[in-house]
Amino acid sequence: MVKLFGNLRVSTIPISSYSNVPTFQYSVLLPYKAMIEIINLHKSFGDLAVLSGLTLSVARGETFSILGKSGTGKSVTLKCLVGLLEPDAGEVVVDSTRVDIYSRKALSEIRKKTGFLFQSGALYDSMSVLDNLTFNLSRHHKVTHAEAKEKSEHYLTLVGLSEAIGKMPSELSGGMRKRAALARALVIEPQILLYDEPTTGLDPITSAGISELIRDMQGRFGMTAIVVTHDILCAGIVSDRAGVLKDGLLKYTGTLNELAEIEDEEVKGFFRNPL
Amino acid sequence: MPKRSIGFAQAGTQVCLSWFRLSIMKRFFIHVYELTAFSLRFFKEVFLPPYEFGEFADHLQNFGSRSFPLVSVIGLLMGLILALQTKPTLARFGAESFLPAMVAISVVRELGPVITALVVAGRVSSGIGAEIGSMKVTEQIDALEVSSVDPYRFLVVPRVLAGTIALPLLTAYADLLAVLGAYVFMFISGGMGWQLFVTSTVSSLSISDIVPGIGKTFFFGYIISIVGSYFGFRATGGTEGVGKAATSAVVFASFLILIMDFVLVKVGILLFE
Ligand SMILES: Nc1ncnc2c1ncn2[C@@H]1O[C@H](COP(=O)(O)OP(=O)(O)O)[C@@H](O)[C@H]1O
Ligand SMILES: [Mg+2]
Repeated sequence: MVKLFGNLRVSTIPISSYSNVPTFQYSVLLPYKAMIEIINLHKSFGDLAVLSGLTLSVARGETFSILGKSGTGKSVTLKCLVGLLEPDAGEVVVDSTRVDIYSRKALSEIRKKTGFLFQSGALYDSMSVLDNLTFNLSRHHKVTHAEAKEKSEHYLTLVGLSEAIGKMPSELSGGMRKRAALARALVIEPQILLYDEPTTGLDPITSAGISELIRDMQGRFGMTAIVVTHDILCAGIVSDRAGVLKDGLLKYTGTLNELAEIEDEEVKGFFRNPL
Repeated sequence: MPKRSIGFAQAGTQVCLSWFRLSIMKRFFIHVYELTAFSLRFFKEVFLPPYEFGEFADHLQNFGSRSFPLVSVIGLLMGLILALQTKPTLARFGAESFLPAMVAISVVRELGPVITALVVAGRVSSGIGAEIGSMKVTEQIDALEVSSVDPYRFLVVPRVLAGTIALPLLTAYADLLAVLGAYVFMFISGGMGWQLFVTSTVSSLSISDIVPGIGKTFFFGYIISIVGSYFGFRATGGTEGVGKAATSAVVFASFLILIMDFVLVKVGILLFE
């Protein structure tokens, strides 16, 4: 059947295959212990196979960094995790809920506890920076308008944008937009955070500050996070474990110290020139 | 439908049809299918909460303010030109006194609704296509989804509702201005006093002219907004995709307005004559 847009999807699962599919109600009985579990994920666009057998498990409260050259499918992996892209095959489980099996309600529950920093920022350009932050807060997280405003201002200050609160996204520089988007992802204080290149395009000093902030948030709220990055310094600050995405799967995983020992030109490349 | 059967269906058809014909047919049917699904979804979503009153009010105002100046000029010109065109012909038969009736009926029944809709489509469909299209290519629509905000309900429903309500009002306004335009012409060319003009305009119009004339603009308003939204959602690539979405929206909306007009005129004749 014709694939519509992400939000207008006709179920493509034949009834018969529901029998061995875990549904929302039974999820507690499932053997998925980790907060985020990706098993044998495949995704291609036409002839281009982007992910072929990616497997990843991130424990509750853990932060995992995905390193990889551009175009290897890092953003695609994150999008599969929140149901923005539909995997061709494999299992994607977040907080014991299958997200690759399209159920609007289950997906919506997962999304409410997930913060997502888009690589491009994706600020709503019809709204001011402040409204970008309060929008999500006041919709799903039962807070008054004043509380939402106060909280948003707090997070904008944390990312160093206190002076840009009333500005429109079009008035911000690239780095400022990125930081505003980061504040938007953090402000809902979610259990799960997915960062797509949080420090790309920022100067080294701001980068370090942002990495510290990410680390700090994790410590304070016990978030589970995946950080996609090229920035080995950032990965060093924020992550418990890391993996290198290559040829459609996580070729090497381990702590950063373990990765640094690996005899692979590409992996060495990440460590050679820390920015 | 299971994914496997797509493979079979495609393999089967590829045997029968050349690649060229297949791709054209497929594109056409995908288009028809998706636009139909997209349009019908509106009737489901419009009744479901949360209701975006704020968005609706914004878009109503937006729709109106974008179109108002254009519709004013077009309305006046429509009446002027119509009077200018028909006066000599009517004069030849000594039927100049029929001019107000002629203008009123042709404007209210046909020209007002269709020309207003086409002009507004050029302005608003492209605007909506570009707006939503740029949200699509810059991942703002993905961001809405990740925040558990249904982009269709948040972006499309208020716009379509606003379009469906605003266009009839704009058309009524354009109709009035067209009659005024015709009067201005008659006055300048020294034909008719305003009292006579008004009486013959009013007496020539019956409810069976006004109801179908304004009635069909609800459909046109719906088309203008839904087609703009549809092409916006389909936009891919960068700024180029946004431009394409805007252009396709205008072309498709205009096309559908004329088709819809044909259908509705037919229905109107069955119902009211
Ligand atoms: N929606 C899409 N349609 C087609 N191709 C896509 C889409 N999203 C990503 N790709 C392709 O998938 C590959 C991986 O993309 P991405 O995950 O964005 O890379 P990165 O690792 O730099 O984040 C790229 O070659 C890209 O062109
Ligand atoms: Mg990327």
